[in-house]
Amino acid sequence: MSFRDVLNSGKFVVTAEVGPPKGTDISEMIHHMELLKGKVDAINVTDNQSAVMRICSMAVCKIALEHGLEPILQMTCRDRNRIGLQSDLLGASILGIKNVLCMTGDHVSAGDHKGAKPVYDVESVQLLKIVDSLNNGKDMSGNELKGSTDFFQGAVVTPEANPLEPQLMKFEKKVKAGAKFFQTQAIYDIEKFKEFMKHARKFPVKVLAGFVVLKSAGMAKFLNNNVPGIRVPEELIEELKAAGKEKALDTGMDITARHIRQLKEEGICDGVHIMAIGMEDKVPEIMQRAGLL
Amino acid sequence: MIITKKKDFQELMENIKNYKSFFLLGCSECATLCGTGGEPQLQEMKEALEAEGKEVTGTFVAKTGCQVLGTKVELKPHKDAISKAECIIVMSCGAGTQTAVELYEDKPVYPANDSMFLGNMTRLQMFDERCSLCGKCILDKTGGICPITACPKGLLNGPCGGCKDGHCEISPDIKCAWVRIYERMKRLGKLQELCDTTLEAKDWSASQKPRTLIAREEKKK
Repeated sequence: MSFRDVLNSGKFVVTAEVGPPKGTDISEMIHHMELLKGKVDAINVTDNQSAVMRICSMAVCKIALEHGLEPILQMTCRDRNRIGLQSDLLGASILGIKNVLCMTGDHVSAGDHKGAKPVYDVESVQLLKIVDSLNNGKDMSGNELKGSTDFFQGAVVTPEANPLEPQLMKFEKKVKAGAKFFQTQAIYDIEKFKEFMKHARKFPVKVLAGFVVLKSAGMAKFLNNNVPGIRVPEELIEELKAAGKEKALDTGMDITARHIRQLKEEGICDGVHIMAIGMEDKVPEIMQRAGLL
Repeated sequence: MIITKKKDFQELMENIKNYKSFFLLGCSECATLCGTGGEPQLQEMKEALEAEGKEVTGTFVAKTGCQVLGTKVELKPHKDAISKAECIIVMSCGAGTQTAVELYEDKPVYPANDSMFLGNMTRLQMFDERCSLCGKCILDKTGGICPITACPKGLLNGPCGGCKDGHCEISPDIKCAWVRIYERMKRLGKLQELCDTTLEAKDWSASQKPRTLIAREEKKK
């Protein structure tokens, strides 16, 4: 069953993330794909994440298809103008890629080519409209396509953005622009997330809560201080501290599993998106602890 | 105004190392306000060049250096000083430099400044970029704050996920343009208008270079 069908069926879905490597050795990445195969409903393939140059998302999505996984093509507006984006979307379509996640993209100043010219010819809301247009047989200039695309398009949202109101405005614009599903920035406070979901439930979209596993109290503090839109509550930091160095990761996995279980049992959202960031091998175990396997 | 800053003096010296005599041309408008091309800076440059063993045949601060015909008329009394100079150093923006290039076809012209951006002077000698000269103003839709300029990504429909406590992901010194726009529209009671408007992808053909404009009405025959 396709990711779209699974999500629409009402099943609590799980997506994970695969970051393409920098270089042509994809053996470790393939190993991660094999670990996730048959367990997750789809895998996101990041697009030069953090503006660090790597293998392109589309090629890795194709590899994922060949390995029996359903890919979600992450597409940022940082590196391609409207011609490049549309051309790549058509290309992704003929390769059999069905899902696309439309994002603005981290600024080049975050990455490893700081002197690059950032593009941002269009942005996430407009990219969603472009996908909708291609699905309806026309390019963004209104020219007829010989054969249209059939993408299931999604977007991202930061439920704990500060300030939140402008973020919610953009969320609604994304819904209007055709986003069918949302994957969120990592969340750590379920009560706050419930507040966001009360708002999100007013719209006909599916929401997958984002998770980044905490490896230590230090990591939690780092996220709080450095990553926009992430706020790890003090009690979780205390819990990690109390676990001690050796058991911190195990506790972090427990926290994630506990949160996922709660989201599922209380029917708070439609699924979860686990961003393992170098710990892809732990995803099946987290899913097991959350009662998803 | 056009914000300029002085080039590194050694870089300038390298550029002009093959010449001995110079005419210095400043500008009384932006470059004077930026402290890069007014009387005091021309005097400083004259002294610095002379200290390097160079000759300065004359100096002049044009009224408006980017006004080609006006500058041509103003420079007439300086004809001898200019012809004695092997080259001209222009201490204004790139537009002023190219006025000199247009007026003196056979003379090398060198810029003393780097042209930075179109900006506002917020305090003495402090400048902020406010306008990108995109050719199709959208300030009417964004509460008078330009996201094409104030947002490093030039986003048109709201903040990205990189907004942290109201500041930009690329620097905590930059306030998120979209938080500013949102707050201003809220203050003006126009939030609904902002939320209901999705701006289309910008038509960048309006900034296709080189741009020209004929604003005067041609006389009817």
